[in-house]
Amino acid sequence: MSRKRSDYRSTFYSRIENFVNGREEFLLYRPTGRTEAEKLESLEAELTEAADLLDKREEQQRIQDHTEPRDFLKRFHKLYGVVATLVCLTMMMLLMITVSWLPRFGNASNPANNEVIKRYIEKGQEETGAVNIVTGLILNYRGFDTMGETHVLFVAASCVMILLLIAEGKEKVSRYANDRQLEPKNDIIVQKVAGFLVPAVFMFGIYVILNGHLSPGGGFSGGSVIGAGLIMYVSAFGFKKTERFFNEHVYKIAKISALCFYICCLSYYFYMGAHGYDNHIPLGTPGNIISSGLILFINIFVGTEVACTMYAFYALFRKGGL
Amino acid sequence: MEWVRFTAAAVFLLFATVMECIAVFGVYKFKFVMNRMHSAAIGDTLALLLGAAGLMLLKGSRWYSFKLGLIVIMLWMTSAISSHVIMRMEYSIDEKKVKEETS
Repeated sequence: MSRKRSDYRSTFYSRIENFVNGREEFLLYRPTGRTEAEKLESLEAELTEAADLLDKREEQQRIQDHTEPRDFLKRFHKLYGVVATLVCLTMMMLLMITVSWLPRFGNASNPANNEVIKRYIEKGQEETGAVNIVTGLILNYRGFDTMGETHVLFVAASCVMILLLIAEGKEKVSRYANDRQLEPKNDIIVQKVAGFLVPAVFMFGIYVILNGHLSPGGGFSGGSVIGAGLIMYVSAFGFKKTERFFNEHVYKIAKISALCFYICCLSYYFYMGAHGYDNHIPLGTPGNIISSGLILFINIFVGTEVACTMYAFYALFRKGGL
Repeated sequence: MEWVRFTAAAVFLLFATVMECIAVFGVYKFKFVMNRMHSAAIGDTLALLLGAAGLMLLKGSRWYSFKLGLIVIMLWMTSAISSHVIMRMEYSIDEKKVKEETS
């Protein structure tokens, strides 16, 4: 049973929802009864289609009858080469001068050889609870840096979406139908082997994520393993079967909630550290799965983020949607 | 006994090397995709198995052998399947008109 009111479309909240989902322009949209609006919409769609066709034809004409003077272009290309060489040479010179001022590698008085590394190695396990010092380092001491990396992944996925996501319309339908023109569809050999391998790959990815603080690995590597498993499943069984457990809705929820929880965990660290309070989360015995405080959870969030990003890249490049 | 085991392992490893050399030679010798893939598959399957068997004999530990066997099974599954998919792709593109010749 739907809990929406019958006149839901004309309410204020529905307009906000449409605006958030990018369907309507919030300030311009004034609903005037359903039937009229629909008529208007269909008319507008026809008009825009005709205009698109005209535009395409004009563009083709323009490309075909290309009679612009080419002298300017030639001169521009010559100048471009000269300027590019000059810029590159200047940059190289500047970098070389900078390198020549660096201290010798391995010198005892270098700024890199300070007490920080010693502290990481000697007190890392005691302070973070992680047996794997690298994980303790990047998720606890240098958590801010890792948060930036996770945001870079988020921003990269958003940029690819801006460029490649096909929102609505005929193109979407055709792209979804032709997402693999030459690739073998429903290959029984690939499907059987994927049935064996995909669970194993998922298990391995989860193992790498959960053991991030005990052994080499962690969120980034485990997440990419899980993403590879998802891609394998898609290439064996197609998008229709994948969308039963991983579609755009799941993607949105998983990705954004992982990022938010990650930021919450790190905010706790920052707040406690900046005010000089003690860390009240028990670290447990080093070596157990449930130990090292928040590092385990941060690993899980990072892994979710990375897996979602990998799969999103693949799906976006392949059919322009999730 | 130790010497027998060592000799057997050496023979296996030698054969693996020979097979790998044949595979590399074939990949550079042939021009057509399917021929090259056939010779590459020799290195992926037979040479891998022989090499793993030689290492198993040389080391002799049960746990070590089990892990090597797992590696062989995994690689036999994945590399053969990926070759199969690429091969079908090539067959459906059909640049060399193989379909017409065979049918």
